[in-house]
Amino acid sequence: MSRPDPLKVLTVCGVGMGSSLMLRMTAEDVLKRMEVPAKVEATDVSSARGMQADVIIGQGMHTEAFEGRAPVVVGISNFMDKDGLQQQLTEAFEAQGWLEPQP
Amino acid sequence: MDAFTNVLEFLATNIFSEVAILIGLITMVGLLLQRAPIEDTVAGSLRAAIGVIVLFIGVDVFVEGLVAFQTIVASAVGLEPPTATNTLADFLGQHGGSVALIIALGFLLHLIVVRVLGTRYVYLTGHLLFWISVVVAASLVQVFGDVGQWTLVAVGSIVVAAYWTIQPLALAPLMRRVIKSDDWGFGHTSSLAAWMAGTFGRFLGDRERHDTEQLRLPKQLSFFKDVNVSTALVIAVILLLAAAFADPTVLAEQATTYNEDINPWMWTLIASLRFAAGIAILLFGVRMFLAEIVPAFKGISERLIPASRPALDAPTVFPFAPTAVMLGFVSSTIVFLVFMGIFAAAGWFVLVPPMIMLFFPGAAAAVFGNAVAGWRGAVLGGAINGTFLAVGQAVTWGLLSDTAPELATLADPDWYVITWLLLGLGSLTQGLGEAGIWVVAGIIVVAFAAWMTVLKRRVTTSDAALTGEAPFARPDAAPPTTGSSGATRRDQRSER
Repeated sequence: MSRPDPLKVLTVCGVGMGSSLMLRMTAEDVLKRMEVPAKVEATDVSSARGMQADVIIGQGMHTEAFEGRAPVVVGISNFMDKDGLQQQLTEAFEAQGWLEPQP
Repeated sequence: MDAFTNVLEFLATNIFSEVAILIGLITMVGLLLQRAPIEDTVAGSLRAAIGVIVLFIGVDVFVEGLVAFQTIVASAVGLEPPTATNTLADFLGQHGGSVALIIALGFLLHLIVVRVLGTRYVYLTGHLLFWISVVVAASLVQVFGDVGQWTLVAVGSIVVAAYWTIQPLALAPLMRRVIKSDDWGFGHTSSLAAWMAGTFGRFLGDRERHDTEQLRLPKQLSFFKDVNVSTALVIAVILLLAAAFADPTVLAEQATTYNEDINPWMWTLIASLRFAAGIAILLFGVRMFLAEIVPAFKGISERLIPASRPALDAPTVFPFAPTAVMLGFVSSTIVFLVFMGIFAAAGWFVLVPPMIMLFFPGAAAAVFGNAVAGWRGAVLGGAINGTFLAVGQAVTWGLLSDTAPELATLADPDWYVITWLLLGLGSLTQGLGEAGIWVVAGIIVVAFAAWMTVLKRRVTTSDAALTGEAPFARPDAAPPTTGSSGATRRDQRSER
C-alpha cells in the first residue's frame, strides 16, 4: 500500500488540549526530520473515535482502544522524546511499506 | 483631540473588550513572528477566534446544566440552591478582553523573568495559561470591583507570571523522582496536591515494596479515562437519585423549561448528557484556540531562552505509573462523594462532582505519591485532591458570587489557593481603593522574590547534590555535562 500524501496523523490525550498538543509538536518535528509530509492534529480520545487517520499517536493507556482503527497506532511514554518516537514511527512505517520510494 | 478619544473609545469597546477578536489578534502576531505563510496566518487566527466563540457557547450550556443539577440536588436534600449575582458567562463577556491581555502580557513577563533569573521552566500548559488568567482576573474584580482595565491587566499579569515561574520550580525535585530525568517540568494547577502527596506520602511506605505498578486493577475501570463518559455517568447517577427525593413540582418545573411534554425522569437523563456536552463543547473551544496559540508561545520561548525546558500538563507523568493514575482517580472520587454526602447532610452548599478535576489532578497527585510511597502514597494523593476539591468548592463558590462562581466547580487545588490568597490580600488593602490593588501586586512581587531566593538556595545545595545537576541553568551557560541522560540526549540532538 502506498503512503497517503500527506499522512493524516492524530495525537490523542484525555481532553485533547494539553499533552496531545505537545505531542503534536514533537510529532511534527519528527515527521519533518523523516521527510514524511504529514498533517498532524491534536484531539481528545472521544473525538478521535469519530475521525479518520493514517497514524494515531498517544499514551499507551489511550492508544490501546485504537488498535485496528488506523494503519499505524503508536503508544508512547515520553512526550518530549523525539528520538524514541522517530524509532517507533520508522519501524511502523517500514512494516507498512511506507518508507520505500513513493510513486 | 476628539478624534483621538474616539479612536481610543472604539478600540476599548470593539477590540480590548472582545475576547474573540483579541485572541485572534494575539494568534496572528504569534504566527507572524514565526513567519508562517499568509494563508496559515489567516486560517490560524480565524480558528482561534472561532474557538473562543465555541468556548462561550460551551460555558452557556455548562452553566445551564449546573443550575439544573444544583436545583434538583438541593431540593432532594432540602436546601436552598446557592445563589450568585453573576455567572462565568457574564464575567467572560465583561472581562474576557482583560483575560486575553493577561495571558499574552503575563506570558511575556514570565519569559522575561525566566530569562533574567535564569530559572529553568517555561510554562506551556495552554489551557492553564487561560484558566489561571480567568481565576486571577475574577478574584481581583471580586475584591476590587471595577478597577481600570489596564490596572487589572498589569496586576493580573504580575500575579500569573509569578505563579507560572514558581510552580514548576517548586515541584522540580519531586518531578525528577517521578520521571527520572529533567526533560520537562510539571506545569499543572494540581501542584499543591501533588506536592503534598510527594511530601507526606513518604511516611506511609516505600516505592520499592508497594509500587502501584505491581498491582492489577480491574479492566472495567479504564473506561473512566474518557472524561466525557465518566462525567455523564456520574452526574446521571446522582441526578437520578436526587430526582427520586426531590420535590416533584421542582422536578417538573425544571423539566418543563427544557420541553413541556417530556417525562421528568427522561429529562434528568437528558440534563446529565447536556451537562457533559457543555463541558465537551467548552473544552473543544479551548482546544481550538490553544492549538493555534501554544505552538507560537513555544516557538517564541525556544528562540528567546534556548536552554529552558517546558513545564507541561499533568498527563505527561501518567505513563510513569498508569495504575497509580486509576487508583488516584478512584480515591479522589470516593473522597469527594463522601464529602458531598456529609456536606449535604450538614445543610451546606450543594456540590457537583467535577469529574475532570477528580481525574487529572487526582491521578497526578497519585503518581507523585506512588513515587515516594507506592500505592499508599497514590491513594493518599487522590484523597488529598478529593478533599481539596470538596472543601474548595464549598468555600469558594460564595467567595466568587459577584464574578464567576462556576469557577469553583471547574477548579484544581491551586485555583482555590490563588483565589483565597488574592481575596485575603485584597480584603486587607481594599480600603485604599485603586491603590490597594497595587499594594497587592507589590506584596506578591516581594513574596515572589523571597521565595525565589529561598528556593534557589535550597535547591542548589541539597538537590544538586542528589542529582548531580544544578537545577538553575543560566540560559546562556554551557549545557551541563553531568546529569540526566535526558539532558545529554537533548543536547546531542540539537547539534545534529
